[in-house]
Amino acid sequence: MGEFKVHRVRFFNYVPSGIRCVAYNNQSNRLAVSRTDGTVEIYNLSANYFQEKFFPGHESRATEALCWAKGQRLFSGGLNGEIIEYDLQALNIKYAMDAFGGPIWSMAVSPCGSQLLVGCEDGSVKLFQITPDKIQFERNFDRQKRSAVHKMLVDRQYMGVSKRKCIIWGVAFLSDGTVISVDSAGKVQFWDSATGTLVKNHLIANADVQSIAVSDQEDSFVVGTAEGTVFHFQLVSVTSNSSEKQWVRTKPFQHHTHDVRAVAHSPTALISGGTDTHLVIRPLMEKVEVKNYDAALRKITFPHRRLISCSKKRHLLLFQFAHHLELWRLGSTVATGKNGDTLPLSKDADHLLHLKTKGPENIICSCISPCGSWIAYSTTSRFFLYRLNYEHDNISLQRVSKMPAFLRSALQILFSEDSTKLFVASNQGSLHIIRLLEGSFKHLHTFQPQSGTVESMCLLAISPDGNWLAASGTSAGVHVYNIKHLKLHCTVPAYNFPVTALAIAPNTNNLVIAHSDQQVFEYSIPDKQYTEWSRTIQKQGFHYLWLQRDTPITHISFHPKRPMHILLHDAYMFCIIDKSLPLPNDKTLLYNPLPPTNESDVIRRRTAHAFKISKIYKPLLFMDLLDERTLVAVERPLDDIIAQLPPPIKKKKFGT
Amino acid sequence: MVQLRPRASRVPPSAMVDEGQPASEEEEEAEHGLLLGQPSSGAAAEPLEEDDEEGDDEFDDEAPEELTFASAQAEAREEERRVRESVRRDKTLLKEKRKRREELFIEQKKRKLLPDNILEKLTTAEQTNIKKSSGKLKEANLQKENEDCDKGSDSKKAKVQKVQSVGQNKSYLALRLKDQDLRDSRQQAAKAFVQNSLYGPGTNRTTVNKFLSLENKRLPVKKAAAQFLNNAWGTQKKQNAKRFKRRWMVRKMKTSKK
Repeated sequence: MGEFKVHRVRFFNYVPSGIRCVAYNNQSNRLAVSRTDGTVEIYNLSANYFQEKFFPGHESRATEALCWAKGQRLFSGGLNGEIIEYDLQALNIKYAMDAFGGPIWSMAVSPCGSQLLVGCEDGSVKLFQITPDKIQFERNFDRQKRSAVHKMLVDRQYMGVSKRKCIIWGVAFLSDGTVISVDSAGKVQFWDSATGTLVKNHLIANADVQSIAVSDQEDSFVVGTAEGTVFHFQLVSVTSNSSEKQWVRTKPFQHHTHDVRAVAHSPTALISGGTDTHLVIRPLMEKVEVKNYDAALRKITFPHRRLISCSKKRHLLLFQFAHHLELWRLGSTVATGKNGDTLPLSKDADHLLHLKTKGPENIICSCISPCGSWIAYSTTSRFFLYRLNYEHDNISLQRVSKMPAFLRSALQILFSEDSTKLFVASNQGSLHIIRLLEGSFKHLHTFQPQSGTVESMCLLAISPDGNWLAASGTSAGVHVYNIKHLKLHCTVPAYNFPVTALAIAPNTNNLVIAHSDQQVFEYSIPDKQYTEWSRTIQKQGFHYLWLQRDTPITHISFHPKRPMHILLHDAYMFCIIDKSLPLPNDKTLLYNPLPPTNESDVIRRRTAHAFKISKIYKPLLFMDLLDERTLVAVERPLDDIIAQLPPPIKKKKFGT
Repeated sequence: MVQLRPRASRVPPSAMVDEGQPASEEEEEAEHGLLLGQPSSGAAAEPLEEDDEEGDDEFDDEAPEELTFASAQAEAREEERRVRESVRRDKTLLKEKRKRREELFIEQKKRKLLPDNILEKLTTAEQTNIKKSSGKLKEANLQKENEDCDKGSDSKKAKVQKVQSVGQNKSYLALRLKDQDLRDSRQQAAKAFVQNSLYGPGTNRTTVNKFLSLENKRLPVKKAAAQFLNNAWGTQKKQNAKRFKRRWMVRKMKTSKK
């Protein structure tokens, strides 16, 4: 494998924003998650819980409610009083309609999916008709009339009630007339809507109970508290064969450290998300049919996309935050040591640049060129390109003005290896190629999407010799374009799981694709077919522990001198695949650390297999090969994220 | 009966009348009648005091001058009028100033506004919008609001109304600034409400440091808190100490050189 010096970077101050709303769509098994900075992410729960789409955030958008309507339409309502519909194909906002009622606190969809109800600050509930293009205002209900009309609707509203300022955080309306309310005193209360009386009162927490979600069958619901506990309530018969049922609190789950502000109930799992930025999906054991690894707890903490780009020549790292970019130069050392030593730095890492974006929108994607002279980033409405000049130790920045309008809202930006070309994948499905000249640019070509589809290209990869460009969308296969002749070369057959990482190897021009179900394919571009190695491993299948990994592979890179090596990583491990070594089968040990040197060669040869996995550096946000003997690993310890979150509820423990 | 000399000096004449001889009361009354008959205004009080002082100097031989009162009163009236006049003049000056400034602003606004043709386009587009959407309630609401805006605004040019689309050009959207301010303030209020109810007073919140250190405290081998040192403590004191040290060193260098 070789010896590497590893730059262990921990100065990426990445703090994700807390989760505010969660909405589950039963037909497509997708989860929409909205965060406090306005970002909305779509997770495909059947594709190994992969985040397949996201809508970048906006400072003025404080989403308070999210819901799915018929036909895979996603609506959200926020404190700015607007109802926003998201276009899931083109990955942008379809329109934002003002509800004219002040801040929107809650939203619900009728069971048939064609009507949208919105609860506003001024006390009115407005009914909208969902038409194929837009939503249309239909009626306006006053506070009194509301309860008479709607059953089986889940309404979350804030109502200030009585003396001790008890705030009702959530309300659920069941079809048999029971109303369940959760409030800030830690109570779950059952009311009878016909008589308007309190039926049952459960005091479950010392802090606020902030969210509630009812399952479709209405026999169980889940509540989330501010202490991070999630409780599961079920409708259970009183004795084993009586028909009378009552609500019983069955299971507590403590997977969060901070407030759980959003919960959702899918037919088989409980989903919760809160201020501690984790998304926790807990499958319910009694609902899961096959008890395999799929029934385990899933905790999604780290992003499923790359937020870091690297300039290998100058040892620079570009970190992408929501509203700014940071450029760092890595430190250097002249010391040498043995395996496992920590070498002292002769020159510290340097924070070169802090680039703030103008405007309220979040940065969607960013990139730095391999030579380090160009930085590009994109927001929803603008595209920015900067030229960097290095004199001795100083760095100066110059903005390239008058970027063309079609470049905005880019989903992925990539520079060619020689930094002369810029590739931009826009959310409309087109790919733009820009030639970079000294201080200016020239638009070379645009690859339009196939007619009829608006497939947003999410990932790009360029071959080191600059001839081939690979682009993956969300459902079609990976397209490979010939840059020299500016036309489509071939398309890798579509696979039913989304692509999580793409890379093209130098010299051999093999395209390596990693999917969200942890499958890795290798496709030869000049031959237009899968390579031998890829076919072998598909026939044998990956090791079961490899397939059970939680986090997707986010980056693939190659060694310049060793064509048989593929370096890839996910959040908790990095792996070098050596194609010359035999593949492991299910019986061999997957994670085998280096055997001690006094073991005989025979044993070492027997246990060696192609997957060399190391779990030393975790949680990994980025890992890349800088040159033949250096690696860079960007870690983000979980404690560092927690240290920057808002204050949690005080817990009194005995003995402290 | 004791004959008391009419005591002059500080005592006001009304008191003198009380203490004066009963025999000469009437005379004095007649004399002071004039004085007493005066309305007890400040203007009248002044000359009385002046009278007193004069009386002081000349002691008891001279009668107070009656004429001074009338003239003094006239003087006082004159002063009052002068003050009123000056105030009025100030007011008018201010008014003038304000008027001039307003005109200047209107001029500037006129210059800043969109040219007439675009405004016309806006209003005509709105008219067509209103005609098209006569069936839908939501649009009707909008229409009502727009009409209200129309009636409410002072001039057509001063406020621009919100429109959904401007004919063919979808490149810009005209917004009424007042609406945006109102919306922002409501959004701020809503956010503040949520923030207050979650993190405001009365909620049982603790710092992240304490939260993370809870585990460390209960371990069999107790460890320190997650963030043991508070580097932000006493920053002012530390800065002062640094500055003092620097100055002291400089002084030391100077004296040691000598």
